Amino acid sequence: MKRLRNSASVIAIVVASAMFTTACEEPKVEAAIYETLQQCLKDINMVRSECEKNYNAARQQHASVAPKFASKQECETEFGAARCEQAPQRSETGGSMFMPLMMGYMMGSVLGGRGFGNSQPLYRTRTDPGTYRTADNKSAGRSTGRTQVAKSATSRPTSKSSTRSRGGFGSSGRRFGSAAT
Amino acid sequence: MKRIPVKERSGLAEAAARHEFEYQAGRGVPFWDETAFYQFTTQQIDEDIAAPAEDIENLCFEVIARAMEDESVLLRLGVARPHWDIIADSWQNKERNLYGRMDFSYDGTGPAKLLEYNADTPTTLYESAVFQWEWLEEADKEGLLPDRCDQFNEVHEKIVEAFPHLGIDSILHLASNQDVEDDKGTLEYIAECAQEAGLLTNVLAMEDIGISEDGQFTDLDDKPISTLFKLYPWEWIFAEEFSSHISASGARFIEPAWRSILSNKGLLPILWEMFEGHPNLLPAFFEDDPAADALGETYVRKPLLGRQGANVEIYRDGELETSREGPYGEQAHILQEFHPLPEFDGGYPLIGCWLIASKAVGMGIREDRTLITGTEANFVPHIIVE
Repeated sequence: MKRLRNSASVIAIVVASAMFTTACEEPKVEAAIYETLQQCLKDINMVRSECEKNYNAARQQHASVAPKFASKQECETEFGAARCEQAPQRSETGGSMFMPLMMGYMMGSVLGGRGFGNSQPLYRTRTDPGTYRTADNKSAGRSTGRTQVAKSATSRPTSKSSTRSRGGFGSSGRRFGSAAT
Repeated sequence: MKRIPVKERSGLAEAAARHEFEYQAGRGVPFWDETAFYQFTTQQIDEDIAAPAEDIENLCFEVIARAMEDESVLLRLGVARPHWDIIADSWQNKERNLYGRMDFSYDGTGPAKLLEYNADTPTTLYESAVFQWEWLEEADKEGLLPDRCDQFNEVHEKIVEAFPHLGIDSILHLASNQDVEDDKGTLEYIAECAQEAGLLTNVLAMEDIGISEDGQFTDLDDKPISTLFKLYPWEWIFAEEFSSHISASGARFIEPAWRSILSNKGLLPILWEMFEGHPNLLPAFFEDDPAADALGETYVRKPLLGRQGANVEIYRDGELETSREGPYGEQAHILQEFHPLPEFDGGYPLIGCWLIASKAVGMGIREDRTLITGTEANFVPHIIVE
């Protein structure tokens, strides 16, 4: 029973300023980046089991999250010669698809810095090969080992696999009409 | 509680145009009637509507907790076994509920009686939250209303406030049957609320949702759907092909699957079984339960999963007195004590109490010309004085 109807404009201003902060000075978080499993194992600051667990997790995500291309040439234009492989998925028309090779992996710090987890694969583009990028093309910086990266780069990468089929929802709506109650 | 005739706002046609509602001179806005309003006292709203609604909401959580341990609950609600895990997972993952509307029979005196809980896909949200509020402001400005009047209506603000607590970490997808204009309108309103809360949104049709190679639901750009607000009942989803992908998809739904226990009319006999004698509950039984004889020959018969009064029947002294046709007659039914809606000037108001994130925050009244509120009921605004 409170009249707050004109609060919309106030909320809009708050949101705008929050976004401004995000864009300009995004908070950094602890992370660890390695080009290979061997590089991680050689790091005296890292535990073997963490290196292996996180490497395997990134490796497993790679095929699903890596950007996909309809031809090897398109992929290599983006990621460089001999830097692409065939993806396990098929396109909607049944053709082959290609994706960049995994060039490293990044793990985020978990539990207040007492360990590492939430790993994901990293890639390097042809035009900016020094920078590690996530599957969603977010920069994870240029250094390996323990480092700091923008918080947004540590979010879970989205799946890039194509849609296999549609229309598996909706039949009841066609039969009954409105969902209203 | 009074029904008070009043003049329409002089600006009704403009208001209708602003909100993209139909308007015809002389006939006004279909399903909206501002030639009268219902007037309540603060005490009536606080003590007779809002407090009981939140109390019943808590009882509902006890029903869900029981359903997690006692399989007779889902069996009696007619939920097929393959869907039990979807419901249980959504509860164990603490997936949050956004909105629901409890429908009460109430005449201004005595305890309001719960007729049903629209806990999955309630509509008339925009009329309640926005159009009704604007009516109050404009009618007040035109001097049509008593001094210092208010309305039980924080619905819009509370939806916007609720979104940041729903754990949505990427785009919010929203889907409905896009062939139904009213449903589309409700969906777009929810999307606007989410945007006001700072979320990115993507509205699509249920039938356009895809499934990816690795089992995620996808939108028309092949982007994965991580949170889906669906204005589409769970029992329809359960009956459809893609329901087999829900568990592995990683997607979260609003309303969550556990809400399907509450939107099922079987909730009513289970509430009565667990909390018999509660002042705001009516005696109710599954039709095949011998205990239903306690109702005698005067009762209301409702399908477990009907919508908008369809297939509801009122029996008085064993005779079918009033009924509505519909496509849901083949299902199992419940019987509920007949507690007729009150009559005001030939209309039968049904009190819909809105709960946002389980808090009672507003009200909408639909008024039918029969005792079973159906699709042709008019929305009639309300005010609170004192």
